[in-house]
Amino acid sequence: MANFGDVIETRYNLSEQQLAASKFGFSPVYFDGSPTVYSPGDVVHLPYVSGETSSMKALGNAWAAYASGVTPA
Amino acid sequence: MGSKSGASFGSFSYFGDQDLPSVNTIKPITTEFSRGSVPNSIARMDRESAWTRWRRGYEMAVSVGIQHPFTYPFEYRVPFPAGTPPSGGNQPLIMGVVQGFPTSKKEFGMHWVGCRIGGNLRFDNITDSTGTPASIASVTEDDEYWYVQLSGTWSSVHPLPPPLYVPNPSGSPLKPLLGETLEDKIITPGGIPVTKNTINPATDKRYGYVQAVLIDVDGENGILKLKKSGSFQATPDNVYLTPSSGSFTTGRYFTVGTRYACTCQDFTRRSYAFTMNLEQKEIRRFPYTRPSLLKYGRHELITNSNTGTINNQAMTDPNQNRNLDLTLASIDNPGVFSDFGGRYLRNVPAIEGAEGPSTFVDYTAKNNEITSYSDYWSPLLDEMRYCKHIYSLRFEEGILPPEPSDLPVGTTDSLTDWEQNLTKESSISKQHIATANTIRGVALMDVPPRNFQSPQVLPMMQKLLNVPASFIRLENFRMQDKTGAFYDPSAYESPAT
Repeated sequence: MANFGDVIETRYNLSEQQLAASKFGFSPVYFDGSPTVYSPGDVVHLPYVSGETSSMKALGNAWAAYASGVTPA
Repeated sequence: MGSKSGASFGSFSYFGDQDLPSVNTIKPITTEFSRGSVPNSIARMDRESAWTRWRRGYEMAVSVGIQHPFTYPFEYRVPFPAGTPPSGGNQPLIMGVVQGFPTSKKEFGMHWVGCRIGGNLRFDNITDSTGTPASIASVTEDDEYWYVQLSGTWSSVHPLPPPLYVPNPSGSPLKPLLGETLEDKIITPGGIPVTKNTINPATDKRYGYVQAVLIDVDGENGILKLKKSGSFQATPDNVYLTPSSGSFTTGRYFTVGTRYACTCQDFTRRSYAFTMNLEQKEIRRFPYTRPSLLKYGRHELITNSNTGTINNQAMTDPNQNRNLDLTLASIDNPGVFSDFGGRYLRNVPAIEGAEGPSTFVDYTAKNNEITSYSDYWSPLLDEMRYCKHIYSLRFEEGILPPEPSDLPVGTTDSLTDWEQNLTKESSISKQHIATANTIRGVALMDVPPRNFQSPQVLPMMQKLLNVPASFIRLENFRMQDKTGAFYDPSAYESPAT
């Protein structure tokens, strides 16, 4: 089951070898599971519930404010 | 009067000698008026062809798709207008990626291409005045367009809400989502968007979906107009069809598809001066624009929001916001930008079908004689194109973009030789970039998000995120490191080492 903000369609499910090879230099990197890294062509799951300000609503607020000459807070 | 001996004035024979050239030395014109060294029209057309971008995009996808050395995933927290506080738990987010392509054609040696990933804006978050979410109620169509009636009660008093339809006190309504691609991927409100692989458990078949470009919005009647040309369909057979053979599924909800923008000269259709000597050659550079190339265009100034002074720095502190001031009806910014000129969108009926390479079957013949001849050329040459960087991302996405039909012509070699030369040149330039420019680029390049308000990148980010430029605030970006964790540059946090 996808959670809020999860990538649900991606071309990049990194293998352990790719994750291991991703370190730069000799600094150890510790992480659990497979990190979510947004890539071209991904699809993200952003289901906003009632009462929340959704991305769609926020974008609308921004454009409405712009049309009225209101600046960001 | 004496004769004019020894003088040429008035001597017709003299003029005749000078003005009648030898037929053997007449050469065709190989240059274009005012274009200086541009060799000829055909070479220029080949260079400008969409096919060349498509092909080079593939080469670049192969080279950068493996390592992603300059990929910067980000999360953008949409700012709230003054007086509109956020509500609820989850922040309004837009997810995206900025990818750098090393180049010697730009200051700091990097073209930045942005990708806003799909699914960020959902139509199940759009409701009418009674709270009814805007699902696809019905679809009608003609040869060119689909007309989608959204569920809900819409009127001049209660039109579609922003950002679909934004009342404008000083003029006609704004429609910021025009040009976005819409996909009917959400089956139930709050549900997970389907992918081309998602199977309907009730039927054991894939759901499939359709994507098309939003052309117009009738806000007072709740109707969206979408273009059939350029649409595609993910079929139950798990393939993409373009243009789509069917229309949207009623009862579903739209979500927006992937969106791209790039800072390169090709995508912006603007040339800009750069003085940095990335090639390490002894060339003196000074920004200038030929007066003949100055035309009415866009003149922007990036100013410090605190002091009002001009600030064209490539990067700033992530807490230092700048303003973009546009001067309309002005000439290009001399010495900084020069406009390449206009471009055209193809507007042919979708019913003519998808376009591929020319088959050259444009004649009929009988007994080895041509009996009819017609020209099937279509004006794809003038279609708005992706640049090679965006084509590269499209290939990475796993979608093979349709091959443009404007194959290069007039080359002295065969097309195969021409293509192999192109591949060879791409290989050489990749090696060159991998050594000289990448090493220098890593030391010199501008870095997201600190460059998001520079003169080149801010217009790109505005187009990518589709918010007013004043709503692109550096402190609202969270960057993602290689472990998947987000960090806040404006709080001086750093990625994992």
